[in-house]
Amino acid sequence: METLASQARPASAEYRANEEAHRAAVKGLRERLAEVALGGSEASRERHLSRGKLLPRDRVERLVDRGSPLLEVGALAADGVYDEDIPAAGLITAVGEIHGRKVMIIANDPTVKGGTYMPLTVKKHLRAQEIAAENELPCVSLVDSGGAFLPLQDDVFPDREHFGRIFYNQARMSARGIAQIAAVMGSSTAGGAYVPAMSDEVVIVREQGTIFLGGPPLVRAATGEVVSAEELGGGVTHTRDSGVADHLAENDEHALEIVRDIIAQLPAPAPRAWDVEAPEEPAVDPSQLYGVVPPEPQSPFDAREIIARIVDGSRFHEFKRDFGSTLVTGFARIEGHPVGIIANNGVLFAESAQKGAHFVQLCDTRKIPLVFLQNLSGFMVGREYERGGIAKHGAKMVTAVACARVPKLTVIVGGSFGAGNYAMSGRAYSPRFLWMWPTSRIGVMGGPQAASVLATVKRDKIEAAGGTWSAEEEAEFSRPTLERFAEQSDARYASARLWDDGIIDPLDTRGVLGLALDTVSRAPLADQGYGIFRM
Amino acid sequence: MAMFSSVLIANRGEIACRIIRTLSDLGVRSVAVYSEVDAGAPHVRLADEAVALDGSEPGSAGGYLSVSQIIAAARATGAEAIHPGYGFLSEQPALALACAEAGIVFVGPSVEALEVMGDKISARARVQQRGVPVVPGVSEPGLSNDELVERARELAFPVLVKPAAGGGGKGMHAVAQPEDLAEALATARREAKASFGDDTLFLERLISRPRHIEVQVLADSHGTVIHLGERECSLQRRHQKVIEEAPAPNLTDELRAQLAQAAVETARSIDYRGAGTVEFIVSADDPNEFAFMEMNTRLQVEHPVTEEVTGVDLVAAQLRVAAGEPLGIAQEDVRLTGHSIEARIYAEDPRAGFLPTGGVLEAVSLPQGEGIRVDAALTEGASITSDYDPMLAKVITWAPDRAGAIRLLRAALADTITLGVDTNVEFLRLLLDDPDVRAGLLDTALIERVTPELAFRDADDDAFAAAALVLFFREAQATQRAAGPGWRVGEPAPARFRLRAVGQTDTVRTVFVAGNAAAARVRIADAPGSTAASGGATAPETGSADREWRSAAVRVSYRAPGAAGQHRPAGTAQVLLDGRATHVDFAFDPRAVSARPGSIAGAIRLASGGATWRFEDVVLERVTRTDAAAPELLSPMPGAVVAVHAEDGAAVAAGQPIVSVEAMKMEHVLRAPVAGTLVLRVAPGQQVGANEVLAEVVPDAAAPATPEVGSDAGQPSDTHQPSDATKEGAAR
Repeated sequence: METLASQARPASAEYRANEEAHRAAVKGLRERLAEVALGGSEASRERHLSRGKLLPRDRVERLVDRGSPLLEVGALAADGVYDEDIPAAGLITAVGEIHGRKVMIIANDPTVKGGTYMPLTVKKHLRAQEIAAENELPCVSLVDSGGAFLPLQDDVFPDREHFGRIFYNQARMSARGIAQIAAVMGSSTAGGAYVPAMSDEVVIVREQGTIFLGGPPLVRAATGEVVSAEELGGGVTHTRDSGVADHLAENDEHALEIVRDIIAQLPAPAPRAWDVEAPEEPAVDPSQLYGVVPPEPQSPFDAREIIARIVDGSRFHEFKRDFGSTLVTGFARIEGHPVGIIANNGVLFAESAQKGAHFVQLCDTRKIPLVFLQNLSGFMVGREYERGGIAKHGAKMVTAVACARVPKLTVIVGGSFGAGNYAMSGRAYSPRFLWMWPTSRIGVMGGPQAASVLATVKRDKIEAAGGTWSAEEEAEFSRPTLERFAEQSDARYASARLWDDGIIDPLDTRGVLGLALDTVSRAPLADQGYGIFRM
Repeated sequence: MAMFSSVLIANRGEIACRIIRTLSDLGVRSVAVYSEVDAGAPHVRLADEAVALDGSEPGSAGGYLSVSQIIAAARATGAEAIHPGYGFLSEQPALALACAEAGIVFVGPSVEALEVMGDKISARARVQQRGVPVVPGVSEPGLSNDELVERARELAFPVLVKPAAGGGGKGMHAVAQPEDLAEALATARREAKASFGDDTLFLERLISRPRHIEVQVLADSHGTVIHLGERECSLQRRHQKVIEEAPAPNLTDELRAQLAQAAVETARSIDYRGAGTVEFIVSADDPNEFAFMEMNTRLQVEHPVTEEVTGVDLVAAQLRVAAGEPLGIAQEDVRLTGHSIEARIYAEDPRAGFLPTGGVLEAVSLPQGEGIRVDAALTEGASITSDYDPMLAKVITWAPDRAGAIRLLRAALADTITLGVDTNVEFLRLLLDDPDVRAGLLDTALIERVTPELAFRDADDDAFAAAALVLFFREAQATQRAAGPGWRVGEPAPARFRLRAVGQTDTVRTVFVAGNAAAARVRIADAPGSTAASGGATAPETGSADREWRSAAVRVSYRAPGAAGQHRPAGTAQVLLDGRATHVDFAFDPRAVSARPGSIAGAIRLASGGATWRFEDVVLERVTRTDAAAPELLSPMPGAVVAVHAEDGAAVAAGQPIVSVEAMKMEHVLRAPVAGTLVLRVAPGQQVGANEVLAEVVPDAAAPATPEVGSDAGQPSDTHQPSDATKEGAAR
C-alpha cells in the first residue's frame, strides 16, 4: 500500500502563516471551552458545593474510568445564542467509559438556570439520545434539573422534537435493550420526573435527590397539603414507599459508585462490526497539520496532506486516483479501524460525484465505515455541466451517502457550501458524528457569492428599469449580506446551534476519529439497500 | 578419617542454605530434610537430595524436632554426618546421643559438653573452676524459692532471676529490691517450667548497662583450641539480637585479650570440640568488668561477621573437626582484617510494637556488591507465616573500618526489598543512624531507649506521587485508547488517584497525573472528604491548586516479563520529581488487583530508601448506608403474635429474638435491631396488622448519625439492615 509523503515546506512564510492562524483559532477555542467548563456563575457553583454536591463535571469525571477519554458532544451548545450566557446549554453530554465500556452520559448542570431545559438543551439531550440509539450505548442520566425553562415553554414543550421526545426515546431505547440508567442527584421535577421514571434502574441520593410531578409549592396551591420536599419525593420515599427509584445513595460519590456497579452488571455489548488491528502512528508528522492547511476555505490544498497525518502509518490505498480527481477516495486505517476516506480536492464535477457514489457503495458492501473530510464550495455550475447532467450525478452520490448503512463520520476541515454539504454527508445525512475545525465555515454558499448573486439580481432589475447602480451603491447594498454570512457561517455559530457535535483542534482529528470509530463499531449493521440511482 | 562424602542438614531456611554452600564447596553431597510447608523451599532445591519429614508428630515443628525422623532420614540417604545448624535440635543432647547410637557423626561437641553447657548452673560451676569470672550470684541446683530469697541476702540488688535451662530471655526477671524477689521467683518458675520443662532457677547480680560480647572458639579433637576474636551483640531487643559486629568497638586490647583467654579456658573446661561461642557480659560503665554468661555449643546466627573479618569458613572448620581432622589453623594464623556488621531482617512491624507480620513475598530483591553478603532463603511467592523463625534474612557487610561497614550496611538495607511482608528494614537503618550506635557506645538497653525517638518515614508527597505515577503508566500501558488517556475536547483531564497509605496514619491524598511517561505532571491534593472539592468551594477539584503541579517522569521495568499478557505484578521504577531521581521498588497487591472493580481498584506496595508503604487505590470512597437501625419492630405482614421472647423492660442485645408473628403459614421472628431496653407493645395471641409497631428498643446510646466513610473494603456497599426490623422467615 502506498505511504503518503508530504509536500510540506515548514520554512515557508505561507506554512508559518497557516500555523499561526490555526494556533490562534485553537487558542480561542480552548479558552472558550475552559470558560464553559466552569458551568454557571461562581455564586451558583458555591451554593451547589455548599450543599455537599459535586459539580456536574466532577460527577462525570468520577463516574467514568480513570483515564477514560470523554467524547463530549456539543460542548459549545447555546454559546451566544440566548440573551444570557447558558454554558453548554446547561447539559453535559459525553461518551465515556465505565468498566471499559462506552456509555452516553447526560448530566444536567444545576448551576446553570437550575438545570432547566432551554430549547437548545432539549436539542442537545435529543442529540445525545440519537447517538446512544444509533450506537447502542447505555445511557446514564445524572439528573439535577428543574424541568422545562418556563419563559421559553413554547419552544421547549409542544413539538415533535421537544421535551416529550426525551421520554419517547427512553422507552424506545429500553425496548431495544439499550440500558437507561438514572441517578437523581438533585431536582427531577414535573416533566423532568419522567427521566428517572422512564429509566430501567434508578439511583437517588438521600436528602438531596427529589422526584415529583408537582413540588411542595404546587401541591400546597393545588390541594392545600403541606409537605416537605424530602417527604414528597425524597430518596427514602421513592426507594421504600413508591418504588420510583431502586437504590438509595448517601451522597453523590455513592450514587456514582452504584451506577458503576449497575453498568458492570449489563450484558456485554455486541461484537465489533469490523476487525480492528493494532494502531500505528502516522508516518508523516501530524503536528504539521496547522502548517499544511490554509485557514481560509478559498485557498486550495491537497487533501492528502491531511490524510497522511491522520491515518495509521500514513498508508493510503487510493481508489480512482486519476478519475474525478477533485474528490480523493481511498482505504486506510485510523487507530486500527478500517475506513474509507472521501475528501474534497476542489469542487465536485460529474466524474467526482460518480466516483464518490461508487466508492461509498464499495465501502458499504465491505462494511467499512466512511470518513468524510469536507472542504468544497459545491458542485460545478455552468451550461456545459448542467447539460452533462451534473444534477443527476450529484444525486447519485447523495443517494449513495444517504442510503449507506455503514457509519459515516464527517469532519468539516474547510468550507462546506451548497449541495456539496449533502454529498459529503452533512448534518442532514445523519453521519454518526460531525465535527468542524475552528477555521472552517458552513453555509448554503459563501458570503461573497451570496452578495454577488443578490447584487446581480438587483442590478438587473435597476438596469432593466433604465437606472444605473454605482459600485459604491452595490458595495453598500452587499455589506449586510456579507456581514450576516460571515457571522452565520462561522464554526462557533454552527456549533452553538448544534449543527455539529463540536469544534475540534485539527491536531485531535485522528484521536477523535479513533474514539468515534470505537464508539460506532458495536452497533450491528443493517441490511444494505439503495434508492433509485438516476442514470 | 577423611572428609565425609554425605552430610544431612537437620535444619531449614538460611542456615541450611549456608551449610549446603560449604558442603558444595567441599564436594560433599548434601541431604536436606523438609516439612510440608517447606516442600518448595530454597534449601530443598539447593541440596543434592531431600527427604520429607512427617509433620504430624506433635510438637515436632513439622518434623525438624523429631530425632527419630532425622536419624531415619540420614540412614535412608546414607549420610555419614548430621549438621544441626542452630536452633531446633542443635543443642539437644538427644540428637547427639541418637547419632552416636546410630553410628552417625554429630557435627558438634560431645554429649557431655552439651549437657554441661545446657544447664547454666553447671556451666557456671565448671568455668569458675578454670578461673573464668562469673557474675556474682546464687547458683546451686535444687534451691527452693525460700532458699533463694534467703541466700539473696548476700547479694547486692538489683538481681536477675534466671532459669538454668533454655535461653532467649524467657523466665528472666530483673528484681530491684529484696521484697519483690519472692513474687518474681514464682513467676519465673512457672515460665521456666512451661518453656523448658525445668524450673530450676538461679540468681545473678544485675549488671548496669551491660554489653553483650561473645567470643568465637574453634577446637579439634587433637587438643587445639583457638579463638577467632569477639563479636559485639549488644544491639538486642528482648534478648533477640538485631545487629552484630566484629570486632567489638571501644574495647581495650587488654580486655579483648582477657575475653579471648577466658573463652579458650571455657572451651577447655569441657574438652570442647567444634565451633562454639562463649558469651560474656561486659559493663559499659566499667569496661574492665566482665563475666561469663553462657556458652552456645553450636554455630551462631551471627557467625558470618567473624567469617568476614577472619576469612575462616566456620562450617568447613566444623566439618573438618567432626571428621576427626586437625583444625589446621593455629592461633597465630588468625588475622582480623577490617570490620564486619550484620543486620537481621525480621518479619515484624517496629511501628506497631514489633508485632510479627507475615504475608506473601510478592517481590524480593536483595542487595549485591563488593563487601555485601546476604544469607537468606527467600522465594518470591512464598508465604511467610508464624510457623518458624521470623528472621527472613541476614545482611552482612565488610569494610576496612567500622564507619565504612555501617555505611555500606545502611545502603545495602535500602536495597533489601521484601514487598508483601513488612520488615524491620527501616528500623534497622534508623538504628544505624543513631549517634551512640555510630560511636560504638552500645549496651543491651540501647534499642529500647532509642526506639520511641526513631523518625519512621510516613508516606510523604514523593511517595504518593511515585505510587500514582507507577499506577498511571501501568494503566496507560494496559489500556490502549485512541486519543490517549484522559482525552477531552479541551485540555486533557489528569488521571485522578485517591490513595490511602494503609496501616500507618491511613493518610488519604488525591494525586493527579497527566502527560506521558517521559514528560508527566503530578499534583497532590490533601484528602478530600467524600464530597467537597479539594480546592475550595469555587473551583472544580481538577482545577484547584492547593499544591503546585510538579514535573515528573517515570521509567518502569517489570521483573520476570514472561509470556505476553502474563500478569506482571512487580518491578522497579526510576521516578523523577522536579528533576530529582528516586528509585522505588513496587509490587501490585495481587489480592486487590484481582478483585472486581469497585471502590478499591487495587493496591500497590512501594519501597524506597528502606521504607515500605502500601497504598490502596480508592476509586470512589466507599460509603456505608447510614440507616441506623430503626428502634421499632414492625409487623411484616398481617398476622398473629405467636410468641414473645423477651419481657417488657428487659435489656436486650442486638439480634436477640423479641417477637414471633405468624402470617401466611410462616413464622417471622423479629429481632432487636439494636441493643437497648425493650418496650413491648403486644401480647401473645394478639392479631396485628402490617407495619404495626410490635415493640420498641430504646437504644443504650445514640448511634452515630453521620455517614461513615470507611475503609472497610470487604463490605459490599449496599448491605444494610432493613430499616423496619430484621426479619427472618421460617417455614413450618
